[in-house]
Amino acid sequence: MTSRLVYVCEGGDCTEKGSVELFEQLRNLLHEWDPKEEKIRVRKYPCFGGCEHGINITIWPDKIFYSHVKPEDLPDIAAHIKGGEPVKRLMGVVKPDVEEFIWQMLDCPY
Amino acid sequence: MSEVDLEAKIPNNVGLRDNKRLMKALETWQPAFLEWWKDLGPSDFNEDQIYLRTAVGVGKGGWAHFDYVKMPEYRWGIFLAEGPEDRKIHFGDHLGEEAWKEVPGEMRNRLRRLIVTQGDTEPASVEQQRLLGKTAPSLYDLRNLFQVNVEEGRHLWAMVYLLHTYFGKDGREEAEALLQRHSGDEDNPRILEAFNNPIETWVDFFCFTTFTDRDGKYQLAALAESAFDPLARSTQFMLTEEAFHMQTGENGVGRILHRTAQLEKEGKDAKSEGGIPFDIMQKYINYWASASMDLFGGEDSTNAAESFSMGLKGRYREGDGIYSDPRALEQNYKAEIPTPDGKLEEKEIPLRRAMNALLLDSYVQDCKRITMRWNRDLEKLGTDFRVVFPSKRFNRKQGIYAGHYYDPEGTPITEAEWNAKIASWLPSEEDRAYVKSCMKPVYEKGKIANWIAPPPTGVNGQPFDFEYVKFH
Repeated sequence: MTSRLVYVCEGGDCTEKGSVELFEQLRNLLHEWDPKEEKIRVRKYPCFGGCEHGINITIWPDKIFYSHVKPEDLPDIAAHIKGGEPVKRLMGVVKPDVEEFIWQMLDCPY
Repeated sequence: MSEVDLEAKIPNNVGLRDNKRLMKALETWQPAFLEWWKDLGPSDFNEDQIYLRTAVGVGKGGWAHFDYVKMPEYRWGIFLAEGPEDRKIHFGDHLGEEAWKEVPGEMRNRLRRLIVTQGDTEPASVEQQRLLGKTAPSLYDLRNLFQVNVEEGRHLWAMVYLLHTYFGKDGREEAEALLQRHSGDEDNPRILEAFNNPIETWVDFFCFTTFTDRDGKYQLAALAESAFDPLARSTQFMLTEEAFHMQTGENGVGRILHRTAQLEKEGKDAKSEGGIPFDIMQKYINYWASASMDLFGGEDSTNAAESFSMGLKGRYREGDGIYSDPRALEQNYKAEIPTPDGKLEEKEIPLRRAMNALLLDSYVQDCKRITMRWNRDLEKLGTDFRVVFPSKRFNRKQGIYAGHYYDPEGTPITEAEWNAKIASWLPSEEDRAYVKSCMKPVYEKGKIANWIAPPPTGVNGQPFDFEYVKFH
């Protein structure tokens, strides 16, 4: 089983901005390429704390934090996940301490 | 998975129509539930029309419907989350086996106890909050309180469904007992101590939904990993609703802090303006955070180890595959244990026995994320005050730190130091009396009490000044 994960935030602010629909769209897009989730698993995450900059998506363990994601950004994000370049225009938006904190939450020592 | 049946007396997606015996048993329990709601649910508002969210399904394309409803007419339903029919157990000793559709005999008692304990907290919190509507700071908040209450009622239904369906006569008796125990009842109290004290103010309510409901989230999340498939699916859907409860708390505390910062910025003294001073807010946060951490149980627990090894409770987000050893047999957990002379000593606990401690660590991280969010807002408003989430050693009544003394940073102190400082760390009688004095109802559309800021947005795309409650 792959340990690579893409998380779409489903906190209150991100949900208000349409993260539930965005999650479905991203999952459909990636499942066309990886139907059994052997390369990456697509999951929702309760909240990343970057609420002002939602919709937020993270890729772990790559430690990529995308903010202000809109449906039109999904093909570029999918291309990155499939092996392309990270989508720079969506990165570095949240404060570094927020980003670092999220990696601490996801980096389980066990 | 059965179709969603919204026309049934009890809305459900568990095929109740095809199980007449179960349907009859639940329909027999229903009047007792409604009686309990009228007696111990929110006081005085049962004839009013509340703009509420009702669960109507679990699938894609939306699971909830918003409309005005009188609370006793709320459609409490039974819904299991969707999932693969061939789900495999993904942790513990039964790793890789088919998830159970029925309760294995040897796990019956332990599983029933887990479900009863979880189920008991749901009506308990409704009972604790029953008088809060009388002092709501706005119609928006009043509506949110009732949303939380009706959904806790639905979570009770979710647990009662499991008891009736999988535990026979014992389960039916346990379901009845869930309505017979009452919060604070001297003879027949709720199971967990934290659910036996009334929640008397909205500051307590917002802290409760931030911290205590969040403990509930982590317990539900651990059960959502369960090898017992009906329990996993029930709790997965409960988590969907629970998110709103925690958001109510998180935003509520944030709005109080925001208002206090505004008053300060205007050069006003929060207390003389009827606001809640920062130091009082910090004390309430200290109190509720530490009381909620007690709910996680002992950090070194053979009971927790057994629940994990049997596949009944997993680690937080176990199913995401983020843990390197799904059997948890290869590692130890490093804990700081108090020594008899009051110092702290690092000790290794076999990982399985440290499942409660691991879950608590995830919870603490989540709470620190919230604290960071509040502090970002305070920074923007130009105030120097910052909320600090207390150490997991502070003010503990359960677990390895109980009976020892620590300051909010977690530094060991003497009993005398504790006694000298307690009034600056936890709400005093005077603080509680002051907060209570601020609690005056505001029922006018678009108006709000002076101690809390309005929310940036309303519910379901409605504005803040929407008529969330229509009084009869």
